Parts: sequence; C-alpha cells; structure tokens
Amino acid sequence: MRDSEIVEKINSALAEEFELDPASMVPEATLFEDLELDSLDLVDMVIVLEQTFGFKIREEEEIRSIRTLGDIHAFVIKKTHQVLQSP
Amino acid sequence: MASTLARILMNLTVYPFLILWTVGTIAVFPAAFFIWKATTRWPTDRIVRLFIWIYGRGWIVMLAPFVRFHRKGFEAVKPLQPMILVVNHSSFFDTYCMALLPFYNVSFAIRSWPFRMYWYAPFMRMANYLDVEGLGWERASRRAREILDRGGNVLFFPEGHRSRNGRLGRFYSGAFLLAMETKRPVLPLVLSGTDVLLPPGRLALRPTRIRLEALSPLDPVLFSGPGAHIELKKAAKNAIAHRLRELRPEP
Repeated sequence: MRDSEIVEKINSALAEEFELDPASMVPEATLFEDLELDSLDLVDMVIVLEQTFGFKIREEEEIRSIRTLGDIHAFVIKKTHQVLQSP
Repeated sequence: MASTLARILMNLTVYPFLILWTVGTIAVFPAAFFIWKATTRWPTDRIVRLFIWIYGRGWIVMLAPFVRFHRKGFEAVKPLQPMILVVNHSSFFDTYCMALLPFYNVSFAIRSWPFRMYWYAPFMRMANYLDVEGLGWERASRRAREILDRGGNVLFFPEGHRSRNGRLGRFYSGAFLLAMETKRPVLPLVLSGTDVLLPPGRLALRPTRIRLEALSPLDPVLFSGPGAHIELKKAAKNAIAHRLRELRPEP
C-alpha cells in the first residue's frame, strides 16, 4: 500500500467517525484545537484506526506524543511498513 | 398580526416572569430545603434535583399560553431503573424543558460554562451536576457511577453544544462509555421545537410547539468488543436523527 493510500484511508476513517470536514483535514491540523476532538475521542480514534488497518496500536508509547493529523499519518505509515516487513 | 402580537406579548411577559420566578424560588429555597430535609431525610442532591425540576415546571406553566408542550413515549420507561439519558441540543432553554420528564432525579453532565451562571451554580453543585469539562473524564465518570448507584439518572447532551445550523451534530463518547462501564441502559430523547423557541444567537422568544419524546432504551449488554461504545453511540444517534427527520425536515 502506498503512503498516499494510507493517508487517504486514515482521513476517510476519521472523517466518517468524527464527522470532520474534509477541508479541515490538513496534516498540520491539531487534534484538540483545529479538529475539536477531546481526550475520549483519542480513545475512539485508536479503536477506529485499529479496525481500519487490522493491527493493535493502543499499547504503543508513540501515541502519547501525537498532536496533529500529520503525526497520525506518520505514525500509521510507519506502523504499516513495520507490519508488512515483519515475518 | 395575531402572531406578531403573541410574540410581543410573550417577550414582554416571559422574561420578567422568569426573573421573578427565579428570585422567588431562590428566596424560598433555604426554608423549603430544611423543611424537606427534616421531613424526608433525603440526601441533599436528591432534594435539590426535585426543586430544580419544580422550578422547571414553573417555567413550563409560564410559557404555556404561548407554547404547546407535548410528552411522548415514557409509558414504557421504568423510572426506578437508573438510566443514562441522551438528548439533542438546540437551545439555551433545552435544560428547562427537561422538566417535561416524568421523573426528577436527574443529574446533568454538562460543560463548564453553565457553572458560571452564579445564580444557578450553587444549586447545580448541590444537585451534584457534573462539570465534565472541569472535572475531566476520570473524575466525572466516577461521580456519575456513584449517582447511578444511588438511584439517580445522568443526562448528557452528547453533541456537547447547541446546534448552530439546526442539524444534529456529531456525538461525543462520554455517555456511551459510561453506559458500557456501568451496564446501565441509554434512553435516547428527542427534543423538538426549542430551535424555534430560541435558537443560538437570538434573544427574542417565538411561540411554538415543544415535544419531548422517549425512544426505545438501548441495552449496552447487546453491544460488545473494543468498539462497543462507538456502536452504542451510533445506534443512539441514528435513532434520534431518524425521529428528528420525521418530525422536521432537514434545513
């Protein structure tokens, strides 16, 4: 899967779950201020991403440092490549 | 012409009466509270919730010449079983309309700003209303569980704020996580007409019909898996959205 396809899949899943305006879904958009998510939404976001991509991420330490949509893109792209390369 | 006169009369009478009713209720409250407390030995939060409900009923009587109130669907609701109520949000006066509920023992889980209305705040705190924003979810959900365990109900406006465009907004997850944690049923409520009475950004009231309808309760036991609360949220939102579409077309 190409990186652009992963980004598209993430944006589509989050837009559907959180009813986000696609125009607001730019990489630099902050989760709390720009996308108006709250701390419970982050729990939901992890579940939605796990269901969309089929891997577990809730235990990953890196999730705690996510601040923007671009951080999510980078994190999921990295995770997807790890999963594809693992035996 | 008649509707314009009704609108003028409504605005000239309802607001002054609301101020008088509020001042009068606050003045009478201490004596009434202590008499009730001494007589019944009820916990403070339960007594204050009853008085808030009576205050809301007074507001309904005040509006009755201009607004037709209607309540539906509560016949099948078991008032003795604590529930998590979720209702759509269109107007400042939505909270007042909760006096249409056939039971009074309800704690509101709301954002911080209503607690800044200093004339209401002491009563909201005594009634154990939940400042979800200020408390944070961990503390708010712990207190909500305590309220449910003591026989109270907890009411959420899952959109988090009033609709700015008349459409049902996206739902936040708090109410549904709480339902999954406590296994208490979710009762979706549909409130219509308050968007005509007083939508956000307006001060003048308009005559209308207000309807509060209880839909079928949703049992959290029927939802499972890591995303169970998300599915429960979707089920509640779909039920409310469907009924709202039947009651009024999308703007």
